[in-house]
Amino acid sequence: MSVVIETEGLSKVYEGALKGQDVHALTDLSLSINEGEIFGYLGPNGSGKTTTIKLLLGLIFPTSGKMKILGREDISSAEVKKQIGYLPEGAYYPDFLRGEEILYFYGRLYGLSGADLSQRVDKVIEEVGMTHARNRLLRGYSKGMRQRIGLAQALISDPQILILDEPTTGLDPIARKEIRDILARLRDRGKSLLISSHELLEVELISDRVGILYEGKLQTLGTINELLSDRDLNIEIAGASDEILSRLATKGLLKDDQVGDRVRLRVNEGISSYDALAMLKEENLTLLSVAPRRETLEDLFVRVVGDAQSKRSEN
Amino acid sequence: MTSAMEFVLRPWSIAVYTWREGIRKKTLVGFLILSLLVIFGSSFLGTFLDATYTGDADVDMDLKLVKDICVTTISIFGILITIFISASVVPNEVENKVIYTVLSKPVSRLQYLFGKFMGVQLIVIINLLLMGGLFFIALYLRQNVLPTLLLWSILLTYFEFLIVSSFTFAISCTSTSPVLPTISGLFVYLTGNLTEYLNDVSQRSQQSGEIIDNIIGYIAQGLYITLPNLQNFSLKTQILNSQPNDPPTDVLITQLMIYGVVNAAVGFALAFWIFRRKEL
Repeated sequence: MSVVIETEGLSKVYEGALKGQDVHALTDLSLSINEGEIFGYLGPNGSGKTTTIKLLLGLIFPTSGKMKILGREDISSAEVKKQIGYLPEGAYYPDFLRGEEILYFYGRLYGLSGADLSQRVDKVIEEVGMTHARNRLLRGYSKGMRQRIGLAQALISDPQILILDEPTTGLDPIARKEIRDILARLRDRGKSLLISSHELLEVELISDRVGILYEGKLQTLGTINELLSDRDLNIEIAGASDEILSRLATKGLLKDDQVGDRVRLRVNEGISSYDALAMLKEENLTLLSVAPRRETLEDLFVRVVGDAQSKRSEN
Repeated sequence: MTSAMEFVLRPWSIAVYTWREGIRKKTLVGFLILSLLVIFGSSFLGTFLDATYTGDADVDMDLKLVKDICVTTISIFGILITIFISASVVPNEVENKVIYTVLSKPVSRLQYLFGKFMGVQLIVIINLLLMGGLFFIALYLRQNVLPTLLLWSILLTYFEFLIVSSFTFAISCTSTSPVLPTISGLFVYLTGNLTEYLNDVSQRSQQSGEIIDNIIGYIAQGLYITLPNLQNFSLKTQILNSQPNDPPTDVLITQLMIYGVVNAAVGFALAFWIFRRKEL
């Protein structure tokens, strides 16, 4: 599997007006994105996600480090840019244009014209499910429809790489699912996708690998399975007194949450589900439910960011 | 499509997009409608001012007034439209992020900037043609002679606007909002029309020997040297006093056009120099 995007020691510092006011937006980022994978790029606001994307697109310039796209260092060359489709977060598309007119405009910027351009417009409009609204003015579009047209403009040249900044933010669940399906289809066709998002569930559902960024530094990187490998058991019981709960805690059954009489317990690693159930039977507790629980991307995100924050406050 | 054609067509696509977007700006359309109303309304002004014509002298005065109003209207509204659109096209695209979608395509910064600049010129030219065209028709209907002098005046006015537009555009490349470039554009236009006065101030201030006067003199001289001279682009006096089909006199049309193009090229080069490493 070949690498399509590669950064090595990439850093970006915005110089402040006074000494000591410099902002280190990105620090020593080394990252690679492979052909045919969806890479989820996560991080809180201001963590450096958009900075990375802008660097890759040549909209801003690195302070140090290297970038390669499709093996080439001249990332701002027309040849490289022809292979990149970009959907910015919250981009504006003029209301006075029709859906297909936007695509004709962007298609011409790729050097497409005539029958080739018409065919590409037809194809991407169909791909994003906007055939029915292609001749409608954008002012009549819903947010989801605008986002789909935005995605279509990113796809107009049939690029090898797609860089999407918050592609599903602000969309309703149905529109989110539709966008997710489109992205999965693109991955299946061999496209490489870099998705920056706050929608952790969306990213978890479609990403092959994720990287979590905090304060400009990459905190963790790996496949979803590698990063979310810990499995817990969730047990819900009723009728447990504080005394019983502290007894269970010493044996490895920890209280996770409590609502009224109902208590959710988390079973520590190393204790089998049978042992856990035996402990509960011994205490004569009412068992409400038993369910395996896998760590979610949200859990991982909170944990990684929390660890980074703790490290920072220790320093 | 060949690379050369692609290189030309990309800026052209951006120019057409800029023009289509620009002509829908409410402020711009407002200026245009107002100017057209003034030009149209001025044709009836003589009737309101003096209902009883007594002779040719009154008719001449009436015509002069109409010409004066129309030429001034074209200058004022034309330059406002020029400055407004030149100051806003780039900062607005940065604000609404359209620039990100364009520059992430195989479009160089030079092509992008050239496309935006061409789009601005399309808007300026079309506005000028609409205003000048209405004035042309109004004059023709009154005098029954083709006012060819007006065409020369519109041509020179465009080159004057081109200079102001290019410098306003350059300043807009440094800014994230249209406010600073708009103010700068007005400054260039006003001081550009006062260059002889600046020269005069510079010379007089050296005579007194006072430090403050000397400083003012240096500033005036600096502005006189650096700012383009826009005073020679106006044919207003001739339009008011000559026959409508007289050729322009005492004006070096070709030289002024070359002067306009050279200054515009300097302004555009400055814009590109600022924009080529601008962090977006």
